[in-house]
Amino acid sequence: MRAAIMTVVLAVSPCCALAQIGNPAGLAPDTSMEKPGVPAPHQTNYQDRLFVQLITAGGRAEIEFGRLAAGKTSHEDLREFANRMVDDHNKANEQLKSVADKSKIPLPEGLDPDHKNIRSDLEKLDGAAFELAYLRAQIVDHQRTAQLLAWEIGSGEDAALQRFASEKLPTVLEHLDLARTLHAKLAGQALFAPDTQKAK
Amino acid sequence: MSRIFNLGLPVLLGAATFTLNVASDPLPPDLTYRPLPSLPFSAVKETDEAQKPAVTQRQRGLLESRYDLADRPMPGVMMSGGRKAVQEGSRVKLPAGETWSSLAAKTPQEIRDRGLLPQGFLPLPHVKQAAGGQVFPESEIREIGADEGRDLRRFDVDFDLPDHLTPEFPPPIFLTTHPELGDVSRGDLLTIRNFYEYMNGIITPVQMEGLRLLLTPFPQEEFNQTEDRKVAMQSTGVACLDCHSNFHTNGAFHLTPDVRPQAERFRLDTTSLRGLFNQQIHGSKRSLRSVEDFTEFEQRTAYFNGDHVSATRKGVNLPDRPNQVAMMAQMQNIIDFPPAPKLDPFGRLDPATASALEIKGEQVFMGKGRCGECHVPAQSFMDNNMHDLKLERFYKVGQTFNDQVAIPDGPIKTFTLRGIKDSPPYLHDGRLMTLGDTVEFFNLVLGTKLDQSEKEALVAYLLTL
Ligand code: HEC
Ligand code: HEC
Repeated sequence: MRAAIMTVVLAVSPCCALAQIGNPAGLAPDTSMEKPGVPAPHQTNYQDRLFVQLITAGGRAEIEFGRLAAGKTSHEDLREFANRMVDDHNKANEQLKSVADKSKIPLPEGLDPDHKNIRSDLEKLDGAAFELAYLRAQIVDHQRTAQLLAWEIGSGEDAALQRFASEKLPTVLEHLDLARTLHAKLAGQALFAPDTQKAK
Repeated sequence: MSRIFNLGLPVLLGAATFTLNVASDPLPPDLTYRPLPSLPFSAVKETDEAQKPAVTQRQRGLLESRYDLADRPMPGVMMSGGRKAVQEGSRVKLPAGETWSSLAAKTPQEIRDRGLLPQGFLPLPHVKQAAGGQVFPESEIREIGADEGRDLRRFDVDFDLPDHLTPEFPPPIFLTTHPELGDVSRGDLLTIRNFYEYMNGIITPVQMEGLRLLLTPFPQEEFNQTEDRKVAMQSTGVACLDCHSNFHTNGAFHLTPDVRPQAERFRLDTTSLRGLFNQQIHGSKRSLRSVEDFTEFEQRTAYFNGDHVSATRKGVNLPDRPNQVAMMAQMQNIIDFPPAPKLDPFGRLDPATASALEIKGEQVFMGKGRCGECHVPAQSFMDNNMHDLKLERFYKVGQTFNDQVAIPDGPIKTFTLRGIKDSPPYLHDGRLMTLGDTVEFFNLVLGTKLDQSEKEALVAYLLTL
């Protein structure tokens, strides 16, 4: 169903499939051109390379935290959300890796220090406190990811990476919306029915 | 009560320590601040020029997929100066198989989920979103070139809308201090070369000095002397009235100074300065509270995208508040709306002069169409408020069109409707080409379910304002 919607949207807006045209003031100095004005494929500027590092690390964290949350929570909606994070970010990271490989951008290993800190905080929590903390982290991470994707769309050079960013942004905003809605719901429950949350 | 508090506290505490860690997240250093160019001017210019045909063609493609751009003047209806015809009909293209009434019968969710929102209702991208900046229409470039020998032409982009969908040029000027004179522009564009001769004796010394400053070019983000410019020769810059031609608008556009990152900044169509004296809030997002504030700050915003750092590098002009700003504001404050002979002192139609269709339109405006709830006739058809029309109920946010990411507009101030036939394109970003489009837009967004005859009457009424 979702795939069907995407095709409809693409069909009525041929514009979305068109290549990005950046501000050449931000091109890497050693860019070679396919034809005048059009960088040859898989050439990157500093923004592309930083983008890949930050998004890969972020995606990895979503997967790890998602697994953690799916194991720890007893809340059905939250488990569903956490599993969706694991799935969606797994797919996205694989897709990103295949683009990054072609553009010869090495990927970071493991979690970055900030996400390691978050993980160790999350591991200490349980029950409602864990669920809320997990969702708060998800909200911030998705806000950040949306910012990074828009940044790549505006400042990147590698068209394949920019297309990846454009394609993912609506989904990331949808995840953000889900996380905000769930957080509002669980925060309300934690405040007004703390006992039931705690008992489970 | 206290039980809840006791149990709630550790939760909140946990969340608080947690936030501290998140706050140290690394983000790129150039998300807020504009990066310096990584290449010399000549290399950037060469690439920009090579890209220009593709940029132009891509924007043309987007415009043509969204709108019917044809030149179809409304018979017998001209803008206030009598120089340009008002365009008829609605120009936003409908998705296949839909009509305006079939769309209006659907829920916002259905329209969003099935991708049925007419694309012309979406935010309109800048012709080159990644670079952004001021873009002037051909008529302005030509006139300033001829009169002042100053170059307003960019080497990377051209103005993207056809001439017949922009305001008349040069537009007439009406003064609150001299209603008996009518248009005092002499059919010409005010420039630094002619303003004294044209205005001598009509305005005061203080207004004259304000006018001089409004016509004096100052460095601007794309028009300056650094390698980070988009004009071929080192430029002395841009004047306020290069966009606000004759205190109206020529349709010049740029990107909002109020939003980052770049890809999410929305386009801004130059607003008219007519009737500024009655407005309590200024700017579609900034809600500045006085003409003085806006005049002073326009050097930071229209000129430098809300980036005072870049401004410092390129040579910003900071007008002196008690002297220069006050005079510039006082000149702007005597610019009147064009005459609306059919309106009475309450802003209501005079039944003795208005047609039956126009009167029906006013009834729709004040009644079923609900327009008058925000566009209050006795307050120059404004309410001095900002409103969130929540258009994002109708489309999936975050999609990219020509490098612009469509995010919700959020609250935007209610624009005046006085003299509205003179200032296409419409809405803050100029996404609607005709008054007919605005009627379809508001009918859908407000869910007012107007029928065809009510819509026609509404357009006829808007033309009288
Ligand atoms: C790019 C061309 C451009 C130039 C040059 C420019 N403006 Fe503007 N001006 C705009 C746009 C676009 C807006 C609408 C801003 C918004 O909606 O946030 C605007 C809004 C205004 C407003 C507020 C109008 C309202 O309806 O609230 C004032 C006052 C104003 N400009 C004065 C000036 C002055 C004074 C200067 C010179 C210092 C200047 N402008 C230069 C484009 C321009
Ligand atoms: C809830 C308040 C509200 C109502 C009701 C409303 N408007 Fe508006 N109107 C606005 C706002 C806010 C804007 C600016 C929107 C933007 O630029 O994104 C606007 C802009 C406009 C414009 C474009 C002005 C310009 O200078 O570009 C027109 C024309 C207009 N409205 C006509 C109507 C008509 C006709 C109706 C009734 C069918 C109507 N409006 C009902 C708030 C309202």
